[in-house]
Amino acid sequence: MPIDPVTLQVLHSHAQAAADSMAYTLFRTAHSTFVKETEDFTSGLTTPDGMTFASPRDLGATWFIGLDYANAIALVNDYKPGDVCITNDPYSGFVCTHSPDLHMWRPIFWGDELVAFAVGHIHNTDVGGAVPASLSRALTEVHQEGIRIPPAKLYKEGVLDETLLHVMLTNVRMPDQNWGDLKAQVASMATGERKVHEMIRRFGLETFREGVRELLNQGERQARAIISEIPDGDYFFADYLDEDAPGGVPVRLALNLQIRGDEAILDFTGSDPQLQSSLNVPTGGAERHILLMVGYNYCLYTLDPTIPLNGGIVRPARCVIPEGTVLNPQFPAAVGMRSLTCVRLQGVVMGAFQAALPHRLPAGPSGGGAMMNVKTVDDSSGRLIMASIDPITGGAGGSAVGDGTDGSGANNAFLKNTPVEINEIEVPIRILRYGLVPDSGGPGLHRGGLATCLEFKVFTPNTVVTARNRDRTRFAAWGAAGGKPGMTSEFWRNQHDPHAVNLGNTDVVTLDPGDVIRVTSAGAAGWGDAKTRAPEAVAFDVAQGKVSVEAAARDYGVSIVNGALDLDETERLRAAMAPAKNEPFSYNQNRDDFEAVWNMRNYAVLTELLSRLPVHWRYFVKRQVFERIENTPPEARLGDGSEVRAAFEAVVNGLPQIRATLRAQAAE
Amino acid sequence: MGYRVGVDIGGTFADFCVLDAETGKLETLKVLTTPAEPGAEVVRGIGELERRFGVAASAIEYFTHGTTVGINAVIQRRGIKLALMVTRNFVDVLELARLKMPDPYHLYSARPQPLVTRDRVIEIDERMLADGTIELPISEDSARAALSQAREMGAEGIVISLLHCYRNPTHEHQLKAWLNQWAPELPVFCSADVWPIIREYERTTTAVIHSYVQPRVSNYLGSLQAALAKAGVTAPAMVTKSNGGVMTAELGKTRCVQMLLSGTAAGVIGAGFVARQAGRDHVLSLDIGGTSADLAVVIEGRPSYGVGETVGEFPIFIPTVAVTSIGEGGGSIAKVDGFGRLVVGPESAGSTPGPACYGRGGIRPTVTDAVAACGLIGHGELGYGAVSVDRDAARTAVQTLAEPMGMTVEQAAEGVIRICVAGMFKEVSKLMSRQGLDPRDFTLLAFGGAGPMLGCFLARELGVRHTLVPTTPGVLSALGGLIADVKNDFIRTGYFELAPAAAERIKTGYHELAQEARRWIREEQGFEDEPTLLPSADLRYRGQSFEIEVPLTLETVESGDLAGIAAAFHAEHERLYGHADPKAAIEVINLRMVVVGKAAQPNLPAYPEVTGTPPARKIQVWLDGGFVEAALYDRADLKHGHSFQTPCVIQQADSTTCVPAGFVGSVDRNHNLILTLQGDA
Repeated sequence: MPIDPVTLQVLHSHAQAAADSMAYTLFRTAHSTFVKETEDFTSGLTTPDGMTFASPRDLGATWFIGLDYANAIALVNDYKPGDVCITNDPYSGFVCTHSPDLHMWRPIFWGDELVAFAVGHIHNTDVGGAVPASLSRALTEVHQEGIRIPPAKLYKEGVLDETLLHVMLTNVRMPDQNWGDLKAQVASMATGERKVHEMIRRFGLETFREGVRELLNQGERQARAIISEIPDGDYFFADYLDEDAPGGVPVRLALNLQIRGDEAILDFTGSDPQLQSSLNVPTGGAERHILLMVGYNYCLYTLDPTIPLNGGIVRPARCVIPEGTVLNPQFPAAVGMRSLTCVRLQGVVMGAFQAALPHRLPAGPSGGGAMMNVKTVDDSSGRLIMASIDPITGGAGGSAVGDGTDGSGANNAFLKNTPVEINEIEVPIRILRYGLVPDSGGPGLHRGGLATCLEFKVFTPNTVVTARNRDRTRFAAWGAAGGKPGMTSEFWRNQHDPHAVNLGNTDVVTLDPGDVIRVTSAGAAGWGDAKTRAPEAVAFDVAQGKVSVEAAARDYGVSIVNGALDLDETERLRAAMAPAKNEPFSYNQNRDDFEAVWNMRNYAVLTELLSRLPVHWRYFVKRQVFERIENTPPEARLGDGSEVRAAFEAVVNGLPQIRATLRAQAAE
Repeated sequence: MGYRVGVDIGGTFADFCVLDAETGKLETLKVLTTPAEPGAEVVRGIGELERRFGVAASAIEYFTHGTTVGINAVIQRRGIKLALMVTRNFVDVLELARLKMPDPYHLYSARPQPLVTRDRVIEIDERMLADGTIELPISEDSARAALSQAREMGAEGIVISLLHCYRNPTHEHQLKAWLNQWAPELPVFCSADVWPIIREYERTTTAVIHSYVQPRVSNYLGSLQAALAKAGVTAPAMVTKSNGGVMTAELGKTRCVQMLLSGTAAGVIGAGFVARQAGRDHVLSLDIGGTSADLAVVIEGRPSYGVGETVGEFPIFIPTVAVTSIGEGGGSIAKVDGFGRLVVGPESAGSTPGPACYGRGGIRPTVTDAVAACGLIGHGELGYGAVSVDRDAARTAVQTLAEPMGMTVEQAAEGVIRICVAGMFKEVSKLMSRQGLDPRDFTLLAFGGAGPMLGCFLARELGVRHTLVPTTPGVLSALGGLIADVKNDFIRTGYFELAPAAAERIKTGYHELAQEARRWIREEQGFEDEPTLLPSADLRYRGQSFEIEVPLTLETVESGDLAGIAAAFHAEHERLYGHADPKAAIEVINLRMVVVGKAAQPNLPAYPEVTGTPPARKIQVWLDGGFVEAALYDRADLKHGHSFQTPCVIQQADSTTCVPAGFVGSVDRNHNLILTLQGDA
């Protein structure tokens, strides 16, 4: 029997209440700072086949709307009431996507019938492996990233499997904390079961089942309605991570978004081969893998915030992700730092949607932020201090509706900072500056949001500062609709010293007493032609200290003299300014220079040639090709793919085993 | 014998509650507010009290009131133009706040524009360290330069918020002294004086909101005092506070940040008082008005406290009775969205134009219209005759929903009620999970103009067994004010380990807090009885990044009983989070002291038990999918000992109680309505 629309709305509230209640239970009873401060956890309810129909809205990570547990669920047999299953293996079903995320699911029965699963995950601070916290860009195999538990029952009909628990806790650095958080997760599962039972008592089993189905259908219908408003067409966008490993070459993430009626195909062909670092994103090639859909979810929600955030909304979309690429790596590629890639990927998806709807979505966000940690010794107590001090995030891109938010925003909106006063009382460092970076937002009719900056001094030898997820020192946030890119990020040791060290994308640095670290995020990009920004708005930004007098004249053609707007001079300046190029996107000089060599055609040839190689050869050959192109004289670069083909052939010629493989392919 | 008078001034009405201190008899009154002439409604109400109930102004021995002057100034952004002086290189304390956006799924989500824009944040050369030592002495030159900058920008007041001033306020005080000397015309506020907590954003935003509204609130209180004196009231005026207590209006002029959320807090205190009198110690207070629906938890007469409660768009961080918004109230607008879904709120018709059925210009269907279209309200006058309910107007408005939904008017109206109640259910469920509570252990105390109208529907959704409707549901905030205690909070930041070396520091810290507290209540409040001192500490396990407030006894803290403090913390941690770690090291984050001057606690009159059945009319109403016959009672006819059948509607001047089938109604000795859900909840 179809459910009536009012009852469906009521059931929707109950389902939402259940998911939020699970999250609050977990949050309230968890032990680790990671859960309490960064809220890197989630909870939810799925259908018996594993599709999430309710996720929390008030707290928790924002990436997991519509997570599909089916593959993990299928790896455990014979569910019974009271069972609780776990996995943290990124290669068992691709529900878990890096080892610190411990996923859990509990079957919910009504009588003999399996009616739902309670699900959720917590990012554990450490699960063992090569480095504390289990994450480092430099790791090359998933085995280095800590213990991996394939899908298994931690509780069998309510009875804890002590052996499994013992094995896990033996392999981690802070077992008490993991066990504490695990108990909070188990409590959250129990809350989920209780809430589902209450819903079935309240609505009846038939209405519950039908209501859940219809909630997902409703999500799908609304997503289709949003997509059908987007003009049919192919929308290409690409962006890069600065480095594919410490000191490496760029990683390209490419998307051809194909809108066909009320459906969307996200074709990621053209993205780099899988990497020899932990920046790979494990998706198993799933067509709607959650990590590929985050940017899509943000865009749909921004286009219509009344859309229910459940698994139905990803149904109209399908991803194409060739195997052996950074977005679909083969075992045992390391994946721990996939969050850095994911944040850039969200920007790529936003870029493709921006190309489709330039007036309804923002220009490039600052794109991720460094998570700053300090390890030092407190000289007054002799105690070792390890503390997460701040996320260094930048703003949102400008858009047709207005300026981007400063300091955080867009896909960087869920993190919290730590007060200066708390950092100084808990960590023996002195903070010298914390705030926005003037002129870091990309100019535009609507300015990009500013970057943030943190400067601090350390006092103890061998103080180690880590800046996880640092990027964007080379490639900046992309401007849209005539807007300009944002400023790149910086990481300095003793910037104002003769021995200043530009740390670039380094993510670990060991310091001496008296050293000063300065770290900034990237700024976000502008939207629309800066020349058309109201002079009063520029003057306001100057008064606010967000744009300097020099930048106002240079980037906006607006003259401010002694704090006052000089309209005559502004007119003269603007008359002399070239109008913004009539191109959908604008990039910074580094990217323009890079793409002058590595243009679309060269990349197309590279992608095609590498795809013929066995996966474990691709990264090696790519690096060799890059080196050869680097050493190719500029006049020999035609930009039509021929130099890449030549370089590839030269590399392969030195590799007899690969030559054989290619010959065999050609013979087929 | 004297009278105690409580007044709560809201958007539309000023509510009066007068208690005969001897008999415990309560009288209530509503008069329209006079926003153009604040204070005039109070004078008019006092005149009415004499006319209607024979309460002479001179016989008023205690007068307390709550006002929305401060909160409205923030919401409407009509405070004074402020300059903010901060430590050099830290100008973005308000811009960045705590970074997180209100809706992190939305790419355009933004923080509210700060009350002090960045151009009015001025840097001072000085630096205090976390342990309170001075690294860089405050520079007089930079202070002079800052003042001339502030004057240039036309600042009407100055807020000072310097790093680590919670630990050592000398730089803030030095700067203030200079500014007072050089610019005596400018009001200057130090963050350490407003509320000296660690965390610069939290402390600064609290100080800014305080300073933003202070001149306006102070003027208002001054004119109120004059008006009261003119009306012949000799008792010193008191004002209600966000912490659920009261203080003198005189002190309110300089402590106005403590009054901003006093209206909702006083309602919770009133609800707690009524519940205690009725012998109920686990209470959810449900206050629904035209524009808001608020819920609070009161256990054993003690409300929950929170920090970070919001004033308009901004959080403030002083101890405040925790009230959670669970919806937009009776004025919530219902509509059918592009996907054929019936949606209720967050748009609200507010009090102007209000629900269609009030005939004050509203035409869009609201929750109140839905209730009217079901025939549940509108059988008598409401709001003491100030509003009448036009059920035809309600039906016309709801018809606009019924058509696209393919429903009858009544079906659509019931749909609006169900969806509105489900939305409140969701928020209450979340609040309960956040605190680890089960709503079924509580009595729902429904008040406010629309609380009794929707209370039973919410109770049914939550499985709450008992719903209590007090005798005067429309004026509970006014009642709360007149029985509230004189109360103030004191805090001292600690940040040290709970170890033997700290025993002296704890003893001294609490000793000083107790002295401050006693001085406040004696000298500033003129309270002559022995006050109650309630010490507590914010504690956490080392490594945790959040602390919990642990109530302690005076004996424990005065003797520096570290083991006692630790035991209290482990127990509280276990209670809140379900686990504790008795072996782990504990850190002391803050020492706190609350001082309470107990107000006379009257007893509500206990009425004799009667027998028989109250008189009822029969009316047709739409409930639970069909027309049914319901009883219509007049509240005045419902006496102690009566029980009554459901479905029914109970009308009274300030509210209408709607009870669907499945409840049994009774009246307790204080004449509260008790509506008990039947069957297995």
